[in-house]
Amino acid sequence: MLTLRLAWRNVWRNPRRTGLTVAATVFAVVLVMVFVSMGAGIHEQMIEDAVRLSSGHVSVSGEGYLENRTLEQFVRFDAELARSLDATPGVAGWAPRVVGFGLLSNGPDTQGIAVLGVDPEREATVTSLPARVREGRFLGEAGAREIVLGRRLADALDAGLGDELLLYSVAYSLEMAYELFRVVGVMRLPDPALDRGLALIHLADAQAFFVYDDRVSEVAILAQSAEHTGEVAAAVAGVLPGDGVEVHGWPEIMPELVQFIFLDDAGMYIMLLILVVVVAFGILNTLLMSVLERRREFGVALALGLRPRAIFALVYLESMALAGVGLAIGLAIALPLVLWLVGHPIDLESEAMRGAYELLGFEPRISWKLEATHPLGSAITIFGVAVLAALYPAFKASRARPVDALRSV
Amino acid sequence: MERVGRSVARAGGFVALVAGMVPHLRERTLQRIAWRNVWRNPRRTAIVVMAVAVGIGGAVLTMAINFGMVIQMVETAIATDLGHVQAHAPGWVDDPGIDHRLPAGGAAVTDRLAGLAHVLAFASRVRGQALVFSPRASAGVALVGVEPGREVRVTVIAASITSGAYLDGQPRRALIGETLARRLHVAVGDKIVVSVQDASGDLTGEAFRVQGLFRTASRDFDGGNAFVALAEAQALYGIGDDVSEVVVVAEHRSQVDGLRDALAAAVGGAARVRSWDETQPMLRYMVDLFDQVGWIVYAAVFVAMAFGIANVMLMAVHERIREIGIVMAVGMHPDRLVALVCIESLVLTALGLAVGLALALGGVAALHQGIDLSRWAEGLEAYGIGTRIVPTLRRDDLTVPVLAAIVTAVLASLWPAVRAARLRPAEAVRQG
Amino acid sequence: MRRTAGARHRRPLALALLALPLAWSAAAEELPDAREIARRAEDVLRGTSAYTEGEMTIVSRRLPVPRVVRFRSWDDRGGKRSFIRILAPAKDRGTGFLKLHPNLWTYVPRVERTMRIPPSMMLQSWMGSDFTNDDLVRESSQLDDYDHRLLAVEEAFRGLGGSGPSRAFVLEYRPHEDAPVVWGRIVAWIEARHATPLRQEFYDEAGVQLRRMDFGEVRETGGRHVPHLWVMTPLDKPGHETRIQIDEIRFDEAFDDAIFTTRHLKGSG
Repeated sequence: MLTLRLAWRNVWRNPRRTGLTVAATVFAVVLVMVFVSMGAGIHEQMIEDAVRLSSGHVSVSGEGYLENRTLEQFVRFDAELARSLDATPGVAGWAPRVVGFGLLSNGPDTQGIAVLGVDPEREATVTSLPARVREGRFLGEAGAREIVLGRRLADALDAGLGDELLLYSVAYSLEMAYELFRVVGVMRLPDPALDRGLALIHLADAQAFFVYDDRVSEVAILAQSAEHTGEVAAAVAGVLPGDGVEVHGWPEIMPELVQFIFLDDAGMYIMLLILVVVVAFGILNTLLMSVLERRREFGVALALGLRPRAIFALVYLESMALAGVGLAIGLAIALPLVLWLVGHPIDLESEAMRGAYELLGFEPRISWKLEATHPLGSAITIFGVAVLAALYPAFKASRARPVDALRSV
Repeated sequence: MERVGRSVARAGGFVALVAGMVPHLRERTLQRIAWRNVWRNPRRTAIVVMAVAVGIGGAVLTMAINFGMVIQMVETAIATDLGHVQAHAPGWVDDPGIDHRLPAGGAAVTDRLAGLAHVLAFASRVRGQALVFSPRASAGVALVGVEPGREVRVTVIAASITSGAYLDGQPRRALIGETLARRLHVAVGDKIVVSVQDASGDLTGEAFRVQGLFRTASRDFDGGNAFVALAEAQALYGIGDDVSEVVVVAEHRSQVDGLRDALAAAVGGAARVRSWDETQPMLRYMVDLFDQVGWIVYAAVFVAMAFGIANVMLMAVHERIREIGIVMAVGMHPDRLVALVCIESLVLTALGLAVGLALALGGVAALHQGIDLSRWAEGLEAYGIGTRIVPTLRRDDLTVPVLAAIVTAVLASLWPAVRAARLRPAEAVRQG
Repeated sequence: MRRTAGARHRRPLALALLALPLAWSAAAEELPDAREIARRAEDVLRGTSAYTEGEMTIVSRRLPVPRVVRFRSWDDRGGKRSFIRILAPAKDRGTGFLKLHPNLWTYVPRVERTMRIPPSMMLQSWMGSDFTNDDLVRESSQLDDYDHRLLAVEEAFRGLGGSGPSRAFVLEYRPHEDAPVVWGRIVAWIEARHATPLRQEFYDEAGVQLRRMDFGEVRETGGRHVPHLWVMTPLDKPGHETRIQIDEIRFDEAFDDAIFTTRHLKGSG
């Protein structure tokens, strides 16, 4: 206890110097917290946006679907499967879908497209597609033969609301499949390729069109959040009928997103590392100066019998105290700040950033997400740095020679 | 009231001192004193120099690597397909396809190119939709008819060939991507049939042999493009000697905008001329995004460094407080004192800057072969970024650190310096 | 990537060996020119024109019961045009296909639309069978786009449904270098006396056999010995088979040009 109070008093002997070092530490802590939380928030946002435009967090599909994506790969979807999914914990929403390819024509204009057969109500619980309708409305009842197009697709076909378009493709039974569909809505999709190449029809209409009976291409499942993907995937796999059916989490469906996030994080951590190292040198310098100017004191203490180890420990305590104060103040500022940012994401203004985000299919905004590991990680980092920085000064302090002390008396 | 007045007075005095010290920064005497002072405590100096070096060196090297990635993406797109400037028939932009063509091999454009500066190379191409099929599978692709000799100087397709050979003038030869070859289950030497809807709307097909396979940084590109000779594409689509586009490469990327404007003016309404970033705005966004992020990184690092420098200057001043008192008692002008401290700070920072930049440049040079990121290849190739990143320095990466270093050094030292200058000599002597 | 070539089909090799002694006896027997044989076989199948009524049966894993399509067709070989009308099942009744080389048009009564089949659909199955739309358009090219070679003469060929034994010429068709055909080669068995096609085997360039056509129920019609049963077996899709049963076939009639128009497509004849 005495040592602690001593360490504390020593730290504040030179308030200005200590103050500057603490300020540097506070700066580093705040920056680390803000950036790491920003990274977590942005990446979570990216994942959410991406899964809500593709197959949700977890996708149940036929064997080999990921590689081939043809009508050959299917899941038989019945009331029992629906019940099982409803009962599975962690499932926030699920939507069966039929995915096929075909040609859409409006008179002489023809476009090759991906046809998505969805259940309008269920689809809204998983993807953002129903919400992207800008003109008209989303799909209504089964059997009404309605179709919703991307904006660019509608433009390419010169089609508007109420027009009848011919969809033709090859059914599962290998016969030609033809049907007229009426345009009821036009949606805006961020990715131009999707906007130009996707059309939605009712699930039941798709099953009739492709002669699919009760088959579906996949069931898209939304988990409570991206973190729960693994658990939900396992839980769903447990209730599934058996072979011929596969369960995939979004990292398997979009490995490029996983890698992108990894590289993005890596870049951020490197930058923060540089910052922390700079601050570390600052702490080192402060401690060193403080030790050197007390060389006489240490010498006297050693002459009087104090063990070198005690001095070593004392200097270490001073370093910890320095770090601790910096960390405390830093977190005191950073935590409320980050919490506020979590509630107030920033919408991007600059055209460059908006453009880049939208082309990738993400919302142009910066979000924050605070996780327990963030303050914990900051604390470990700062204390770790303090431990390393104190090594040399503490060593020097414990080696002070009583002779020098006496000499300067 | 009195306190406000005093604060204002102090602020005013502060500004006066700062303004006053500037002319003294160039005095040789002060500079020599400053240099000696810096080395009075070599250990402390060494530590702060290291801090600055790590900060600047690390930041510059990281920026170079990140920029290298962005550049890679841009250069890949340009070198693989876009070129620097593209010219199309006016209707092409809204409705890409065989219906919108440049007549006579694009003469309206190519003739004008002779008179323009900074043109490194150009080539004409035919570009249309096609179905390629093999006995086992089929795929929709973009069929690109190229002039093999010219194309070599415009894109890197020839250099991206991994098996087989480039187009060499033999009839009915095609180059396809590895991804496409896999999908079709064909290899070099196999026969494929290319089926298109020609200009008059008829279905027509032609048999080709796979001359070679290529692999670029973009998986999508490899799966969706097939290259044949220009004349054969023209015959297939039945378009005579018309072409779809003329692609131009400038000597340097910085000349692109000028070249585009000059060509657009020369060509007038005969064609629509666009630069690579207009054809693919995504790339432009990436570059701009990077610039904006860069400022933040540098700012953060320099602020962190500022604390350390300020601390050191504070200590440096404090331990010489008695000397300072004496010197001022003897008549040295406070302005010169402030200048001296400033110079010392500048020296420290300059040393750190030098070491840091040397480290960064050394790092960039050492990595000039490129960093191998093939472990993350899948993700990178989905975004069109190659797996070998070469760190690239921008001019900003040298000028910004230097400027920032100067500003940081001066600002960080101001407070200790002015504080010292304000002291009354008698007090100063006593403090020491 | 090149699939590891499975066992090359042994038959051609064995026959080639048989051909050696035959080559010596060629002088004695005067074997006809291969191309001539091929030409006669083509004529047996198609004449200069052919009117056909028949039934196509499709067997597939995807179909719980085989699908039966009744059709009527006019084929004008010289003019490179043909017309097919679907008569049954009810769902497809009235569908029409018009080939005006090189394009293929189709009409679907249920949606009352006529359209040209784009390149991307050409390789899709025709009416759910193992034939593709492309097959419909390309069938005239077996003579022009290929070089023909006599491999051997088989004395006792047993054909579809155990028919025969017959004496058959074994021919190899190799596509011209610039022919837009993906087959590496076709091996054809053609009955020696009446030039009736008995079997065709289709190989890719690696020598892997991809499909087989067998011909049976040979009856004399219009001065030709015509197979009234065609069976196509795709070897890469186990369990699949397409059979065409010809009920009536008439050759060499002159057809009204009006048949080969898009207007006729929309009619019902």
